[in-house]
Amino acid sequence: MTLSAVELEATLDRLLLADANALDSKDMQGWLANYAEEDQASYYCRAAENTENNLKLGFMFDDCRERLEDRVTYVNEIWVGTFQDYRTRHFVQRIGHRQVDKNTAEVVSNFSVFMTPQDTGVTQVLAAGQYLDTVRLSDNGSAKLLSRRAELDTSVLPRYLVYPI
Amino acid sequence: MAEATLTWPKNYNEVPKAAFTRADLYADEIKRIFHGAEWHPIAHESELPNPGDFKTMRLAGIPLLISRDEAGVVRVFYNACSHRSNQLETAVMGNKTEFECPYHRWLFNAKGDLVGCPNQREFLPGFDKADYPLGQPRFELFFGLIFVTFSSETEPLETFLGEAGETLRELMAGDGRLKLLGYQKVRYDSNWKGYNDNDGYHAPLLHAAFKMLNWQGGKGRQYTCTRRGHVCFESALSVASGPSVLKDKDLIAFKGQDPSVGSRIVQLFPTFVSTKHLDVINLRFATPIDAETTEVHYAYFAHQDDDDEMLRHRLRQSSNLLGPCGLISMEDASIFHRIHIGSHTPGNAIFQKGVRDPSKLESEFLQNDESGNLPRWEYYRSVMGFERAEA
Repeated sequence: MTLSAVELEATLDRLLLADANALDSKDMQGWLANYAEEDQASYYCRAAENTENNLKLGFMFDDCRERLEDRVTYVNEIWVGTFQDYRTRHFVQRIGHRQVDKNTAEVVSNFSVFMTPQDTGVTQVLAAGQYLDTVRLSDNGSAKLLSRRAELDTSVLPRYLVYPI
Repeated sequence: MAEATLTWPKNYNEVPKAAFTRADLYADEIKRIFHGAEWHPIAHESELPNPGDFKTMRLAGIPLLISRDEAGVVRVFYNACSHRSNQLETAVMGNKTEFECPYHRWLFNAKGDLVGCPNQREFLPGFDKADYPLGQPRFELFFGLIFVTFSSETEPLETFLGEAGETLRELMAGDGRLKLLGYQKVRYDSNWKGYNDNDGYHAPLLHAAFKMLNWQGGKGRQYTCTRRGHVCFESALSVASGPSVLKDKDLIAFKGQDPSVGSRIVQLFPTFVSTKHLDVINLRFATPIDAETTEVHYAYFAHQDDDDEMLRHRLRQSSNLLGPCGLISMEDASIFHRIHIGSHTPGNAIFQKGVRDPSKLESEFLQNDESGNLPRWEYYRSVMGFERAEA
């Protein structure tokens, strides 16, 4: 199925918003469901400062589907009850995209994430940066993340991270 | 101005909570400890591997520039122009063999020499560039780990480290020939002592992950050394066995050598924590930002002799295991915050585990004893000049 330019934009935006909604709802299964069911599906969260200096280390380095599934286990099972919980609000804005082939698109979007810790109730900025996504387009018109790199302008986090950015 | 006072409890296993929270102690701590006669690790030279590489950071407010010159020599400077003290370099890291101050265009080479400044004929009579190199604090290297001190009184680094030096050398792959993988940087809402009191020492009860991974603590030793109470842990590595909740088992796999002492932690007064666990080599450079905030730069390393597969393994393990979002350490970070909040209550924090006699300090401990922190607290008390209450 070939998407028109408008349809492609709408499809990509639906995916961006679905991911923001899953994260802000702390719905880790929903988060996982936004990723392609392929072994090489990946999520990286890394300070742009590292990337710019050819340093690959990240805050989160989930370079395969198994690690994405493990991250759901961290949050939903292993870490339960050990941290000060916080709400997030993701604001995402697509700034560019390119269709690579029939089933693949590359998308760049800006994000900012607010957080509100449960105990203080004081809202602050958690991180700002860019998502560099490779998106798998399926024949039925749906889109999933094959790879997402959250490149953080925020090289010094204001807090430990529980949920992906 | 009168120096802050605080009466310390008579028992060695008690720490006044006010020590974590009283803002009036903070200025005195900066003067006596951070600007005083202590050594502070600020980088490993492998973070600037090539000629011209540099790194900047601030330690207790003091801006520092570490640079490697064309001949490969590493030096530490104050990151301030020798003219009017304008911040010289703004990048956190990069490669330059000359540093130009934009304010009056003074130019310095990587050795810190002033090599150019326009309009010299308008300067003081007898002005000589040779009198204006970049300022330098005292610094020394230990297997590539760069320490600075801002006091001329500080004893030689080797004396400062004592027995901890040997454990630290082993932790840095035995020879300090490291390769930088990258950083995780974070600010914690915690006084620097709250961070330091809870980062090296780990209560296994906190870590649900250990239980869920079928991961039992290995046999090991915890000891303190020197009058500063540096804390060292040396433990046999216990690798998870049996069923695991993780699908990617490589996160907790050990692919290196020598599991008999596969886990090491060295914690140096006042804020430095370093750890080698599984195949992760992690140096944590911490600085107080203010009385309520501590910034920690987790730097991760491989070894220069690693093959591509080991390098990739260390990268994958380091990113997800031990930092401010790591599988077995995110909850530590939460404890730093919560200890700081909870310490705004009256009374003393009372250490229990491993304390046999509260009227004595010991130097050998079991792996999970919390009493290993007590010699460091005694040193803090003495440096700050706080009187211990009479028995």
